[in-house]
Amino acid sequence: VTTTTPAWLLEPQIGLCPCGCIGRRRRGNFVAETIEGSARVMGQALFAEDTAAAPGLWQGLDARVAVVSTLGLLVAVSLVHHLGVLVAVYLATVVLAALCRLPLGFFVKRVWLFIPIFTGIVVLPATLNVITPGHDVLSLGAWFGHDLAITREGLTGAALLVTRVATSISLVALLTLTTPWNRLLAALRALLVPRMFVLVLGMAYRYVFHLLDAVTDMYTARRSRAAGPERDTRSGRAFVTAGAGALFGRTHALAEEVHMAMVSRGYTGEARTLTAPRLRATDVLWLATTMAAVALLVGADRAFA
Amino acid sequence: MHIPDGYLSPQTCAAFGAGMVPAWFSAGRRVRKVVKSRSVPLLAMGAAYCFLVMMFNVPIPDGTTAHAVGGVLVAVLLGPWAALVAVSTALAIQALFFGDGGVLAFGANAFNMALVLPFAGYGAYRLLARNTSLTARRRALAAGAGGYVGLNLSALCAAVELGVQPELFHDHHGVPLYAPFHLSQTIPAMLGAHLLVAGVVEAALTTGVVAYLQRANLPVLRLNHPAVPDDDAGLVEPRRLGWRWAWLGLGAMVSLTPLGLLAPGAAFGEDAPANLDLQRYHLDTVPRGLAHYAGFWHNALFSGYGFADDSHPDLAYLVSALVGVLAAGAAVGAAYGACRLARRLRGGSLSRATDKPGAVPT
Repeated sequence: VTTTTPAWLLEPQIGLCPCGCIGRRRRGNFVAETIEGSARVMGQALFAEDTAAAPGLWQGLDARVAVVSTLGLLVAVSLVHHLGVLVAVYLATVVLAALCRLPLGFFVKRVWLFIPIFTGIVVLPATLNVITPGHDVLSLGAWFGHDLAITREGLTGAALLVTRVATSISLVALLTLTTPWNRLLAALRALLVPRMFVLVLGMAYRYVFHLLDAVTDMYTARRSRAAGPERDTRSGRAFVTAGAGALFGRTHALAEEVHMAMVSRGYTGEARTLTAPRLRATDVLWLATTMAAVALLVGADRAFA
Repeated sequence: MHIPDGYLSPQTCAAFGAGMVPAWFSAGRRVRKVVKSRSVPLLAMGAAYCFLVMMFNVPIPDGTTAHAVGGVLVAVLLGPWAALVAVSTALAIQALFFGDGGVLAFGANAFNMALVLPFAGYGAYRLLARNTSLTARRRALAAGAGGYVGLNLSALCAAVELGVQPELFHDHHGVPLYAPFHLSQTIPAMLGAHLLVAGVVEAALTTGVVAYLQRANLPVLRLNHPAVPDDDAGLVEPRRLGWRWAWLGLGAMVSLTPLGLLAPGAAFGEDAPANLDLQRYHLDTVPRGLAHYAGFWHNALFSGYGFADDSHPDLAYLVSALVGVLAAGAAVGAAYGACRLARRLRGGSLSRATDKPGAVPT
């Protein structure tokens, strides 16, 4: 897919844990990091809008069907107990992504850059017999009076968790990359989410980008005034807290303005949302197929046991 | 602290999702009653603000940066019920549009960060900021303490949710199906990081923002504190509890002391040398220093809170409690008397330092 999002915004970044405990410890500048973070959010949102507008299998589906299918598949993935079945579902999501004409490299990388570094390192100790006892596969010798070993149960458990997390993330990515956000919000009404919450969610999503601009401006101004790296963390913290405080002031003023604009257009406190169009035959067919797949998955998994 | 999908069993997710529904409804109704038609834009902007506060990198002294959640900050600014809706909405945006935190695990994440965090933090803030003016330094510090308490309680909840998974959900070979770590591992791991780093960052951000608003934008702070006066001059003296209640409380505690006799076992490290389980500590004999100094003082009036001949243990507990209270009271009284005497000798009275913030209400 050729996207209109600039390429430099989409350069993949390894999902390091923000606390810096994993991988390279980023002795970064808080100003640069916040600006980068804002750009990342903006880039991700723009990219999702690009892919959702492109033609593809899920892009043509009714958003309600897409949401219900994703939820059904997520539940099935969390109910499956066998590694083989989970791997099959993951491969199926990659095939689905290809059918939706999502850039496959991006789709796979987005999941597998995050998983090994975050989930992988978190579950690594769980393969040891001190945490998951069982049949020893590989002995690591004695440490502090305990015989350490990697167990078969520990390895299976870790593989199950990593595959399950990868599959779940892929499914949610599939939904967000193929469904425009306004249709996704309208679809939430089908899940009996109250109108007021849908309205709040929609407005919040819209104004996140407006306020994100304010944050980027504030930090860019700071960056352009500073010569050389900032070493004084105290003044840095004072800037961050004052920035967050000033942002709240702006947020509140914006809420007042938006409220007045709404009232002047006839808003009386009654929430209204777009009504979604009627389901087509293809939508119903797809929903039936997904539900059958969910039943088949859980059934096959139980049959293995 | 955002738990992704796959770490929690679907049963856990369903329980938390169902448990949060009444909280969301109640929050929606309360907020709408207070701010009427303003509620939708205010909550939406609050949610957008929450989302952005989570993106602020706070520099910490070792040269790295950390994030804060800001749930308690929003609770202090807009009230805990509005914070419940705002943080939940921010979490929904993160889960649905940015893949941060699970979609199935949304209920559990909302419980930790949108319910426990703002409510526990706001409770601590209200408790500590009692009867101070809106511009008092103590109010900003109380908000920070609230942030610290809220974040750590929320991390504890997440640790418990993750830690019960291997016990409850494993297959017949003992393979954990979801999060693999036990409570004894998740709680120290989560709380260690949050008590030492994340909690401090949260407290610093919350204190800093409230202090900034006290200086620069007081009207915004008044939103959730309509009855609180701006400065100390407007404070009303709170009704003091009478001495009678102190005596009643003390008396009740003294009369309940024999309950201590019901407690089984002994506290770690308080055994007499003769009762030590030497094998457990890989020892052959009682260490020499311990044996020598263990009986250093043997003139205790009520040794082991009992009479010398160990008769009437209940009565001995009561008498010990009474004597202890009187001795402590006498010590405090003597110290108080000494302070008053010293002040009188110096010939001045100590005036309480008052807060004089340079607030500029706009």
